[in-house]
Amino acid sequence: MNKQYDVCIIGSGAGGGPVALTLARAGYSVLILEKGPWFTEKDFYKDELACCRRSVYTPKLSEEQHVIEDTDSDGNWIGQPTSDSGWDFWNGNLVGGSSNLMSGFFYRLKPEDFRLLSEFGPIKGANVVDWPISYEDLEPYYTLVETEVGVSGRFTDHPRAEARSSKDFPYPATAEHPVSEKFDRACQSMGLYSLPTPRAILSRPKGGRRSCEYSGYCGSYGCSSGAKGSSRAALLDQAVATGNCEIKPLSKVYKLTSDEKGKVVSADYYDASELKQSIHAKIFVVACQAIETSRLLLSSTGPKHPNGLANNSRQVGKNLLFSAGGAGSGDFDYSKMDSRESAAMKIRGPFVNRGLQDWYFIDDPALGGRVKGGTVDFLLRHPNAMSKAMNAKWDDNDDLVWGRALQKKLKAIFTENQTLRYEIFCDWLPTDDCFVSLDDAVNDKWGSPVAKVRIGYHQHDLKVAHYINEYAMKVLSKMGAENVRSSISGAPPANLVAGGCRFGNDPETSVLNADCRAHDVENLYVSDGSFMPTGGSVPYTWTIYANAFRVADRIKEALC
Amino acid sequence: MTSRMNIGRREFMTRMGLLGSMAISFPREALAELRQSNTNQPLPDWAEEPAWKTIAEVQETIFPAGEDIPGASDIGAAIYLHKAIENPNADGEDRDYIFRGIGWLDELAQQRYTKNYINLSEKQKEKIIAETVQTSAGRKWVSLLLTYLLEALLCEPVYGGNPNGIGWKWLEHQPGYPTPAADKTWDQLLQRRS
Repeated sequence: MNKQYDVCIIGSGAGGGPVALTLARAGYSVLILEKGPWFTEKDFYKDELACCRRSVYTPKLSEEQHVIEDTDSDGNWIGQPTSDSGWDFWNGNLVGGSSNLMSGFFYRLKPEDFRLLSEFGPIKGANVVDWPISYEDLEPYYTLVETEVGVSGRFTDHPRAEARSSKDFPYPATAEHPVSEKFDRACQSMGLYSLPTPRAILSRPKGGRRSCEYSGYCGSYGCSSGAKGSSRAALLDQAVATGNCEIKPLSKVYKLTSDEKGKVVSADYYDASELKQSIHAKIFVVACQAIETSRLLLSSTGPKHPNGLANNSRQVGKNLLFSAGGAGSGDFDYSKMDSRESAAMKIRGPFVNRGLQDWYFIDDPALGGRVKGGTVDFLLRHPNAMSKAMNAKWDDNDDLVWGRALQKKLKAIFTENQTLRYEIFCDWLPTDDCFVSLDDAVNDKWGSPVAKVRIGYHQHDLKVAHYINEYAMKVLSKMGAENVRSSISGAPPANLVAGGCRFGNDPETSVLNADCRAHDVENLYVSDGSFMPTGGSVPYTWTIYANAFRVADRIKEALC
Repeated sequence: MTSRMNIGRREFMTRMGLLGSMAISFPREALAELRQSNTNQPLPDWAEEPAWKTIAEVQETIFPAGEDIPGASDIGAAIYLHKAIENPNADGEDRDYIFRGIGWLDELAQQRYTKNYINLSEKQKEKIIAETVQTSAGRKWVSLLLTYLLEALLCEPVYGGNPNGIGWKWLEHQPGYPTPAADKTWDQLLQRRS
């Protein structure tokens, strides 16, 4: 008979890593099944082709894809396979998951985010609820992440600051770009609180990980120094070193088999040779990132779970969340600067590391009273040269640009200015129009139905984003930026995804209990971002890490 | 800013691009040197095939060389494209479309000038491309060639394009580091997915 593990974790990203490390350290036998390959620092290079233009870290869409359901001009929901549209919803299938490729903008949620319904009241058409835990329950784990994963920063008190149990970050802030000072001056003159953005990037070495080497290519790229706090570099390497944690890469779990009593008995997967295998464990933890977690549970029918595992209340896949908001940018022309300033603005390597939370809560009659707002994070334009050059191929009339005209345009795009961008993060309100189901026509290369994702959004999200955007644009203008432009839309950012298995106290309206254990499966936990019933107005990763450490403690108690 | 850093000031300045190549505008000498070394390189056999000769001519038309502008041959556009589309991991559809397009192009060149594209004057070639991009299939074809050409312009030199980083130098682009070795290119890494 195959070995029985204490815990089998499906997925090795930010939701899986904390569970693996905590339980392996406690002496439990842990097995991680990861669909992707196991790359290390020695495999990561600043190569735009590998990172961003070929399917190295994500599957080929012809082999594995999603079906995205959006409305047509008549308001009907129409599904389109991503192999047709090219709209890729994969974020990183490799050991460590998409945390290998994140930018690591780390913000905590605020206490009010845990009680959105109580604080701001209901919104028609949105399934807003309070969380079954409070900020105080999660705070120790946010702090734990700062040391375990390695978060660099500089605490600055401000009216929206959430309480901290430690005075400051364990790692000093990473090096900052000269434009940050310009940003600070503009904010000061506008009465705004310019906040240093905490980053999951080491500014000093930690264990076998080197500190950041400031190549200027961070988000979307794997980190060759180990400074980026990916689940792999920060947690899994340590978990494996305990001798209690085993990782099986290239292992695609297609079903969790449950018995007559409803308990999960095995994780069934295809191994690297495409052979069917099964793993037995006492406890199973699913952490495949929100969409794939819901898909796996829906695919895992059993005698007690005819609608899919943990889905007896038909809640699996519901209330999927993305991040609402948008982005904007402005240009700073070198020709209008002296040589010293232009040299400073051209610098690539250090980070902007600035955010604004002045509108995290908005009390304005224009928005109908006090509402939840969001965060604005500022950063330089992504350095990827090819993607920048590709934009030059087309003119404003969608005509192709080639020959000398193209070369002239390229020269201007690359050499005439620096671009400062911002991204707005607002709550993506949970609604009945945003959910995961199984597609009945499209299968993956193993013959399993792919996830169908309906991507409806709430109009309130756009209203809030537009409100904040007006201010964000003014900040860029105040800094002297030209050509300030922005885009606010309801299109979901595929890399900012959560929900689908919300936690709560009522089994009729939630999938997981407060410990993130399935209400109706006693040995099944979900530890990725799927648990979130509302998303907050910051990127998700820090909260996913923190909650996964919390869930790990609950599993440890269950194993005792 | 440097007070938080553990590295020395000079190393920091170098990393940030304050010293070294960043401050230098595009050196014509670098282009001249590259052209000199290119003339000494024998062409690979495939480059003598008619289809590839036509592709190279089209690339030169849509990305012409200038005194201080690297053209298609300077950036290794054909070498890059050959490596890219003949790669077993590559998208076979792109390869098919590119080769089909050569047929259409010669057909148009024959209609207009009773010559194949490769035998046209520079002006005639430009007119043929200008006419080609007026149709949706032709626009898609030239766009596809431009996509690979811009990749050649800005790729890591290990892929066959951008020799000596000439594209980066021309556009004053600071690449990242570390750069991939020959056994760590995207297609090598892709092998690890199976």
